[in-house]
Amino acid sequence: MTVNVTSADWYALAPISIVAITALVVLLADLFAPKHVNRYLAIVLAVLGIVVAATDCKAAYAHDFAAFGGAFIVGGFSVVFQEIILIAALGSVVLYGAIGKDDRIAGAIALMLWSACGAMLMAGAGSLMTIFLGIELLSLALYCLCGLADRPTAREAAFKYLILSSVASGFMLYGMAMLFGASGSVALADLTNPVLASNPLLWIGGGLFLVGISFKLSLVPFHAWSPDVYEGAPLPVTAFMSVATKAGTLAVFARFVYAAMPSGVADRLLLPIWIVAGISMIAGNVGMLAQHDLKRLLAYSGIAQIGYMLAALAGGTALGMRYAIFYLAAYTFMNLGAFAIAALISDDAEQGSRLANYRGLAQKSPAAAALMTVFLLALAGLPPTAGFLGKILILSTTASAGYVWLGIALIVGTAISLYAYAKIIRAMYQRDEHAHTHAAHPFVPLAWASAIVCCVAVVVLTFVPPALRDVLPLVR
Amino acid sequence: MLPMSVPLIDYVALSSVIFFIGVAGVLVRRNPLIVLMSIELMFNAANLLFMAFARAWGNNAGHIFAFLVITVAAAEAAIGLAIVVTVFRTARHVDVDDVSLMKG
Amino acid sequence: MNPYGPVAIYLCVALAAALLFTFLPGLLGRAKPNPQKQEAYECGVEPTSAVHGRFPVRFYLIAMLFVIFDVEAASFYPWAVQMHALRVFGLVEMIVFVIVLAIGYAYVWKKGGFQWR
Repeated sequence: MTVNVTSADWYALAPISIVAITALVVLLADLFAPKHVNRYLAIVLAVLGIVVAATDCKAAYAHDFAAFGGAFIVGGFSVVFQEIILIAALGSVVLYGAIGKDDRIAGAIALMLWSACGAMLMAGAGSLMTIFLGIELLSLALYCLCGLADRPTAREAAFKYLILSSVASGFMLYGMAMLFGASGSVALADLTNPVLASNPLLWIGGGLFLVGISFKLSLVPFHAWSPDVYEGAPLPVTAFMSVATKAGTLAVFARFVYAAMPSGVADRLLLPIWIVAGISMIAGNVGMLAQHDLKRLLAYSGIAQIGYMLAALAGGTALGMRYAIFYLAAYTFMNLGAFAIAALISDDAEQGSRLANYRGLAQKSPAAAALMTVFLLALAGLPPTAGFLGKILILSTTASAGYVWLGIALIVGTAISLYAYAKIIRAMYQRDEHAHTHAAHPFVPLAWASAIVCCVAVVVLTFVPPALRDVLPLVR
Repeated sequence: MLPMSVPLIDYVALSSVIFFIGVAGVLVRRNPLIVLMSIELMFNAANLLFMAFARAWGNNAGHIFAFLVITVAAAEAAIGLAIVVTVFRTARHVDVDDVSLMKG
Repeated sequence: MNPYGPVAIYLCVALAAALLFTFLPGLLGRAKPNPQKQEAYECGVEPTSAVHGRFPVRFYLIAMLFVIFDVEAASFYPWAVQMHALRVFGLVEMIVFVIVLAIGYAYVWKKGGFQWR
């Protein structure tokens, strides 16, 4: 097989290349620019690169194109996911600029951008090789980022993440090897061959592949790492990875579900995933009740939220894909917003994200408390936020696809989560004489801006939901 | 599929044995360096499988994939070493079970 | 012939050689032990501490950098083998690769990663 690489192939990779080159430029700027401008330079360059990449990325929305012989597929699906990842990267870079340490800022931002590259690669991955490359690029950069904070828990988080995630990668890779053995090709498109339906290699390989995916999505039996890693990692990194890993892996999963399995296999091979998604909704929300730390709480919340998104995909319908993407976009904004407020409150200090620090927040800073309330309402799925609309849409599509029990799990999970979110909101509006917030940092305006933008987005998405046409994942 | 002097199933058997040695190593051994080595073993089991299938199908993509995996595994090993060194720089001895400030 | 025949022969020869060199000296030589001969190194310095000592952290740093550059250098071989088939495309690809690697190298150098301290 020979693949003729043309310039169109390179244009398909342009957004990723721009982000990657930006990261290199940030590193070079850090080496050669004078010390006192480092911080500004790194943030400005990174934001510039992300904005250029996002503008460039948009152009491919209406044009489906399989670059590099089908290894990387651009189109509506990949563009939407890439934009979401770029938004997450933008928000996290801004947060890092607001509260990060001066001496590490360039390295951290470069790693974050490379990590975003990996996730963007996953969004368009049309072959097993691209999937693996994307996942590893995303994860390797995140291992380093997790260990950046100056506290023992950060190093521990990095270590745990490294070991557990590598094991998951190992399972996934072994599964990929078996899929390759079944079809004789690394292209996802060749997995749809109906001859494969009875091939044990496909079943075992697909199963191992899905184990890896479940781990990266932190679904319930494989979720234990995520609260620890979220707690230990620096706050902007937590914000980034809570969105980027989910977006990238969800894209891979969706493409696998929608376009890379012989007919008849999907229902049986994926049933465990839907069950696990249902359990995640309940267990994630129950786990939230016991938490005393905002980052851990948001980790458990994320476990449940990914369950909701998977539920939308359960029927394998076009509507389900659109609603999953809509919910992911909404989740991106509410999560980034919540982390921006957390950055304002705690400055990512040790123990800074304890829920106790939020007592009486409304007295100290009514605006921060109000914004946080909006984000928590959105995470809980109450009107008038995008979380509400997203959940209603998912509920409708899941139920009409015949997965009523997933809908019931969603409702039960939401009911449980309401209590956990309401507890925080009540604490924020309590009167408390000992309330202390130590938000005194020169770059706090950046965090404020990020929170306000996210808040606007969370509300606007409800009333002006994007049409999201042509977002079905394809393979060539 | 192309004829092979050693039957394909033997490669699959060998690679699955290697893979499970890796998994067992991760689960049983407590030394972080050995755990990292066990993870390498898992990756290399997959590599062997890729090579065997690439030969069986006459598709070079498997070779390229294996090469990619080797490169990625090297990066992973380097990052793993770095993280292990930072975690245990202050600790007196090196044991995975000691890393438990947070309970998941 | 069974494809595993050579492997079996190889195993047998290896085992025989190992057994031979383990037991033959005992059979042929005359054993007249004395305290000096019982030492670990008959004509060297006795080990003064446990052999399983800890390595200084800087060894790991060097090991890390070695692993990375070693494997990245290995990426050149497939290109070198196919250099003529890949033409200018392959050359440009490798130049980009080297530039990225060089930036990483410069970063490590400037940040003091190569300092032996």
